[in-house]
Amino acid sequence: MAQTLSTPSSSPDLKTHRASMPPVLRGFLWAAVGFLVFNMAVDIVDPFRGHPFVTGPSATLGWVGALLGWLLGVGAFEGVALPLFGYPSRWRERTVGWRRYFEYSTDHKVIGLQYLGSAMGGFLIAGLVALLMRWELMSDHLTIFHYPSNYLTAVGIHGTIMMFSVANVALLGGFGNYMVPIMIGSRGTAFPKLSGISVWLVPAGILTVLFSPLLGAWTTGWRGYQPLASQDPNGILFYYLGVAALTTSTFIVALNMVTTIMFRRAPGMTWGRLPLFAWGQVTVGLLVLIWIPEIQATFVMGLLEKLVPFNFFTATGSVLSYLELFWIFGHPEVYMIAVPVFALWNEIIPVMSQKSLFAREWAVIGLVFVMLLSGLVWAHHLFTNMRNSEILPFAFFTEMISIPTGFAYMAGIGTMWKGHVRLTTPMLLVLMSMFNFLIGGLTGVFLADPIVNLQLHDTFWVVGHFHYTVIGSIVFTGLAAVYYWLPKMSGRMYSEFWGKFLAITLFIFFNGTFSQFFLLGLHGMNRWVPAYPAYLQPMNFEVSIFAFLLGFAFVGHFVHIIWAWRKGAKAPDNPWQARTPEWFTSSPPPRENFPVQPEIVSSLYIYGAEQPVSVHMSAEQELAAARDSGEGGEYPHG
Amino acid sequence: MESIVFGIVWIVLSAIVEWLARIPISHDPLYYTASNIGLMVEHAFDFILVVLIPIFVFVVLGFVWTMVRFRVKKGEKPQLPKHWARSNRWFVGVWVIGSVVVNLLFVLHPTTTATEHFFALEQPSAPQNRHAVVVDVTARQWEWIFSYPQYHLTQTLNANGQDMLELPVNRTVKLVLRSYDPFHTYDQYADVIHSFWVPSWGIKEDVIPGETRILYIKPTKITSFAQNPMSRVQCAEVCGPGHPWMEAPLNVVSASAFQHWIAQQQALQSSSS
Repeated sequence: MAQTLSTPSSSPDLKTHRASMPPVLRGFLWAAVGFLVFNMAVDIVDPFRGHPFVTGPSATLGWVGALLGWLLGVGAFEGVALPLFGYPSRWRERTVGWRRYFEYSTDHKVIGLQYLGSAMGGFLIAGLVALLMRWELMSDHLTIFHYPSNYLTAVGIHGTIMMFSVANVALLGGFGNYMVPIMIGSRGTAFPKLSGISVWLVPAGILTVLFSPLLGAWTTGWRGYQPLASQDPNGILFYYLGVAALTTSTFIVALNMVTTIMFRRAPGMTWGRLPLFAWGQVTVGLLVLIWIPEIQATFVMGLLEKLVPFNFFTATGSVLSYLELFWIFGHPEVYMIAVPVFALWNEIIPVMSQKSLFAREWAVIGLVFVMLLSGLVWAHHLFTNMRNSEILPFAFFTEMISIPTGFAYMAGIGTMWKGHVRLTTPMLLVLMSMFNFLIGGLTGVFLADPIVNLQLHDTFWVVGHFHYTVIGSIVFTGLAAVYYWLPKMSGRMYSEFWGKFLAITLFIFFNGTFSQFFLLGLHGMNRWVPAYPAYLQPMNFEVSIFAFLLGFAFVGHFVHIIWAWRKGAKAPDNPWQARTPEWFTSSPPPRENFPVQPEIVSSLYIYGAEQPVSVHMSAEQELAAARDSGEGGEYPHG
Repeated sequence: MESIVFGIVWIVLSAIVEWLARIPISHDPLYYTASNIGLMVEHAFDFILVVLIPIFVFVVLGFVWTMVRFRVKKGEKPQLPKHWARSNRWFVGVWVIGSVVVNLLFVLHPTTTATEHFFALEQPSAPQNRHAVVVDVTARQWEWIFSYPQYHLTQTLNANGQDMLELPVNRTVKLVLRSYDPFHTYDQYADVIHSFWVPSWGIKEDVIPGETRILYIKPTKITSFAQNPMSRVQCAEVCGPGHPWMEAPLNVVSASAFQHWIAQQQALQSSSS
């Protein structure tokens, strides 16, 4: 099966049959061709000749053509389309070299790194946009943005890219694809081809949103509220289209992860032994499979409202419907971000504390109940829109969701208590992340209370709250995961000094920036404003200074990580003495993850002097594997 | 033993932080509160703050304790015990039941109590609401228009020609909120969502096209935008490029000054028409 793919016998003639153009470059070219073809097709049938060459409808269909061209160009043409139609394809998957990260691949580890790289790129772009926003907010009137709609477009681009291509991607598409199959002892994922295509939707989505101003400004922020969106120029079309690409990618990741975890677990990998991070992926996967189709349908309606228009969401239709449809997805979205983070805390804490995971069943119950309750709290985003009698049930569930969230803390603190805690960089980042999320959670208690919410809603208090929950969780824990798994993914170790130094720097500047948002909000600073009353200027100025320093701290981390990846000291296969299966293979893992199918023979989170090794590969099988690899050549390791 | 010391430190630290929290609480953590609903917000805010402090201190102390007490030095290889405790009846029990109890407490108070109180204040039949000053508030891109139907005023302006809201102190006001552009009635996309917010009042209400919403509120302080800039009507929901400037000064004055202002506005209106 998959074994044949990795047989490296075809490597000598690999180069001769390669497309002459690098796949990404070809993707751009085919995307341009696709856009022109579809755009012109619309122009030809356009009953109102004399319009500009590119109109709203033609750009929308042109974008579909561009997306098809892009996906085929990066390698889906040879990898998927040709075989599907029965044509011979000379496509061979690369197993070594950096080029395999820049083309279509079916290796979940390559795909995982492609997702991580895209998320990192999105983070840098959207982070830069955030710094432009902070620069503008240093003064109380317009300075670097000449028109308020430019500023509002920047707000929208920042939020959209951060939510849909960073927060939804880094831990799901990135570490999910890379680590989950190895962690459950599988030698591959359920849908490798689909997954290989879906990852290329992320750069397409990021670029679509980033270049949305080509079609005009849009002023709605990341939520695309109607009817304002339909009043905006056509830039909003690229918001809907970019988000469609990004959410589709997330949907495919969830489909792949849930199926892989359900059907491709190693022998002995029972649900009771399933690693916490895999539990996080299953619960998040279910959230994604339920709610992403809902928001996609909503955004299709929004897109048609803008193009046609239909009056779905004007006063003639129902304005509130859009808000409700958005937040029915919007709050589960927050937990799509947070649940894998909770799971990762309790993945890393027992390893670094060298102590058995405390109250494991409660940690899992916490993940499952957060998932279930997350669909019942959404209307708390609309307390300023609700009849009084409708408010109480949503306030109730919103307050209750802090209970299962707390279980992640209970398990973490219980595990660390009296443990042998190694304060490595990942552990430090996990503790910082738990601190930040605690602030985010406790400020959320104020927001959950309806009467307090009526004052704090749509102020900088809310902005502070969700930056604490989102950056505090996904970015701090995402960095912890990068440092934790860096030796596994690259075979190299980061510098403990620089890791800790940068983590502390990040923590200080992050808190310096966002803690003041709460005070700004209480003092009357509202959202989506490039200009504001003068009395708020001194604190905004101060916040901006911290924000720039925060930007430097992030860049420092990325530089350090890239340096460690290439030049760090060689790392052993299991530097943390962890017990989960990904540490029982070489670093980086071979194409099929393990030389033979491993078997899980004891619990993964129980530490102790007399604990048996948790992952077992029978001697006979290992010998056979050694013979196989002797015949077929070396397993590629780089 | 360790747990007892931890418990004592937790209680002492919580007490210190609670004591420190009296400073913002006595100075109004909302900076400036000038309405009956704002006072409810302030009390709820203070209550939540007081209850959350020990929880915050517990978790943070747990992290600091871990870093100080349970840390192993680099390279040190401590002997692992044969078995680690994987559960603790007391810790889990107190945590789970404790978090349920704290949340039920919040659901009862301030959530339900304050919300019910708010419902009662917003009943049109409530005695104080029957003689309210009525202000029709029209939100359009990008302007707040205030009309006083009881006084036959269609649009009140200040000396600079800005829309302005002026109200008598300690008298209930009935705000009738609509999003509607009287100058562009032909464009169905011109009516977008706005949000009526007065930062010093502690309340905001979205203004949705096609809906008429009513808010009863009583200003409790004589104040003005010049005196405190939180005394302003501010659009809180993004409504397009003009959103940042969709604000209007709010002055709250004595009953006699209000009558004087009404007369002045009426004179202004009749002279201009």
